[in-house]
Amino acid sequence: MTTTTQRVAGRWTVNRSAGRSSAAVIRPGFAWAVPATLFFVLFAVVPLVLVAVLSFTSWNGLGSPQWTGMANWNALIHDHTMIQSLWLSLLITVLGVVVQTPLSLLLGVWAAGRQRNRAVLSAVYFIPLLLSATAISVLWRALLDPNFGVPAQAHWLFGNGNLLGMQSGAIGVLVFVGAWQYTPFHTLIYQGAARAIPQVLYQAAEMDGAGTIRQFWHITLPQLRNTMITSMILMVVGGLTTFDTVLILTQGGPGTDTTISAYYMYQKAFKGFDFGGGSAIALVLVVIATIISLIVVRVSGYDKMRSSAEGL
Amino acid sequence: MKKRAMLSRAAAGGVTLALGLTLAACGGSSSGGNGSGTFHVLVYGDATNKVEKQIVDTFNKTSKVKAVLDTIPGADYQQKLQTIINTKQAPDVFFNWGGGSIQPFVKAGLLQPLDGMIAKDPALKSDFLPSVFNGAVIDGKPYGVPMRGTQPVLLFNNAQVLKDAGLTPPKTWDDLLSDVKVLKDKGKTPIALGGGDQWPTLMWFEYLYDRIAGPDLFQKAMSGDKSAWDSPDSRKALSMLKQLVDAGAFGKNFDSVKYTDGGSVALVATGKAGFELMGSWYYSQQQQDHPDFAKSGLGYSTFPTVDGGKGDPQDIAGNTNNYYSVMKKAKNQDAIAQFLKLMYSDEFVKAQMAIGNLPTTTNTEQFLSTSASPAYSQFQYNLVKSAPSFQLSWDQAYPPSAITPIHQAVQEFFDGQLDADGFIKAMQALPTS
Repeated sequence: MTTTTQRVAGRWTVNRSAGRSSAAVIRPGFAWAVPATLFFVLFAVVPLVLVAVLSFTSWNGLGSPQWTGMANWNALIHDHTMIQSLWLSLLITVLGVVVQTPLSLLLGVWAAGRQRNRAVLSAVYFIPLLLSATAISVLWRALLDPNFGVPAQAHWLFGNGNLLGMQSGAIGVLVFVGAWQYTPFHTLIYQGAARAIPQVLYQAAEMDGAGTIRQFWHITLPQLRNTMITSMILMVVGGLTTFDTVLILTQGGPGTDTTISAYYMYQKAFKGFDFGGGSAIALVLVVIATIISLIVVRVSGYDKMRSSAEGL
Repeated sequence: MKKRAMLSRAAAGGVTLALGLTLAACGGSSSGGNGSGTFHVLVYGDATNKVEKQIVDTFNKTSKVKAVLDTIPGADYQQKLQTIINTKQAPDVFFNWGGGSIQPFVKAGLLQPLDGMIAKDPALKSDFLPSVFNGAVIDGKPYGVPMRGTQPVLLFNNAQVLKDAGLTPPKTWDDLLSDVKVLKDKGKTPIALGGGDQWPTLMWFEYLYDRIAGPDLFQKAMSGDKSAWDSPDSRKALSMLKQLVDAGAFGKNFDSVKYTDGGSVALVATGKAGFELMGSWYYSQQQQDHPDFAKSGLGYSTFPTVDGGKGDPQDIAGNTNNYYSVMKKAKNQDAIAQFLKLMYSDEFVKAQMAIGNLPTTTNTEQFLSTSASPAYSQFQYNLVKSAPSFQLSWDQAYPPSAITPIHQAVQEFFDGQLDADGFIKAMQALPTS
């Protein structure tokens, strides 16, 4: 096997040096893709197929799954909690993007400056990213205790402090904690991108009499377009996969008010041992995530990989 | 041609690799298999393992067949047990909560009914308090032997707060309502409630249903007769709970408060609240979080009686105990029977008492004075001993798939999202098997 691969690799090299015509390049054999493909099949495709099969069964982990046909799916379609959970996932994702994007954009552009105080503040601000989501949730849970936390000291802002006892409050807390944790990360992305914008553009704009605000709107923002797309995709992925904050801060409550789809799946499969029902939810999530990623790639032009720094 | 040969060779290599991974995965679990001269005892991993280890050592000193103690740490116990119980890695004897936690295993025919062992050694039943032993009786057959401490739910109070308001622990429901009013007028949260955890809310339902309807209503519902939830007694219990909530007994932000992060515990300890309904572990929780308060200011009483209720005022609710259940396929049944006998031995009782647990054997009485807090132990023991019925927590009596819906329903009823009809409907929709 070793000799074969070497030969293939050798041929590839030879061909490449012989001429730059891409048609002449013999691509590496499919064998090269075998390990990755095998792993993908073993750890992604096989589980996916199993989940699909399980979604047509009733199984509590004991004995063998009982074939129940469309029962789980029928139940899911009429399941008020499931439909609500999809909306909640969407809401939390959208709110996450809406809150985090302006914040991290402004902070990132500000932090891109070379002043020393900015470097120090940026370093401090980066800390939340280094903490685990679980630790952060526990921390905020304690900070928001209505009798001994911040709300007890600030009645004018929090009223009776029943933040996690009502839907709007609980969603607000989830979005806030998510933003607190992830804004630094996106700030870092924007900071890097803003620093990469050629200074000549600003110098030229200054010559033309553009102020700071105009420079921001007409140079910084357009130059950061691709960065924004990258950052937003990451936010969407993060929003849709939100789990640990819900698990620790609200446990899907009050009632089912913050039971997002991923948490609902966990509840069904791993707390209620209804693996059939849980699998059906999982499959719905897979389909939705695929659709969203297709849409994002199409709309954003991510697949074309255009550079915003063209011509430099 | 050459290419294809290479492909298949590579594929073979890949398969070998995958096979290797699988083998490696198997290798890790081979220790769980059943050797001929041993049986495996699986327990929930926590501080009590000290006692379990001691008992296993005692057993192994004299027995030819050796017991091997395995632990699964922390809160994932039930999940992990569920995944291994029907595999080769399954234990022979395992820790559980009785009731709904083992009902699916009984249904699947995995557990050994213990009546055979009890016939040979009647003490395996008679040496335990009946209300506790019954917690692991399913369809009329015993499936578990109590193996830790009992944890009845009590109404705790801050004695100083009650004294300042001129109150005593409530004997009746009406007392409780008037206490609530007095404390509320004084600007206190009358009753601390960790509503964010959901299960503390459930305790109010368990007690009130038992006081008003007796244990039969819940038994009926559990056996599949859903009309029980729509009975006049059920509606009466709900309207009384509603009355309590509406009277402001728990304040307005109880769903943002948790017991598990110490929020409700601190409310009582700092004198911001008067009462809290909680399992008997509350005492050691306060000792840990607020030692001074636990020593001087923590009071406790039984749940108030309800005038005209059908339930015996001595009934209690909570966690009856934990149990050892035996797998049907376990080979060394005789040795296991010998092992289970240790669960009512003096050594066992002493060791449990030493770490603060209250065993539920009949000989426990002799050792109550050795407890770290004898009065508290005596109070609980008498309570459990004289209780005609010990209602296992609903979320443990029902099978696991009902836990989340129960928790949601009680929370939604308390915060007003569900009315009585909605709650009844939610309970009727619960799976009973």
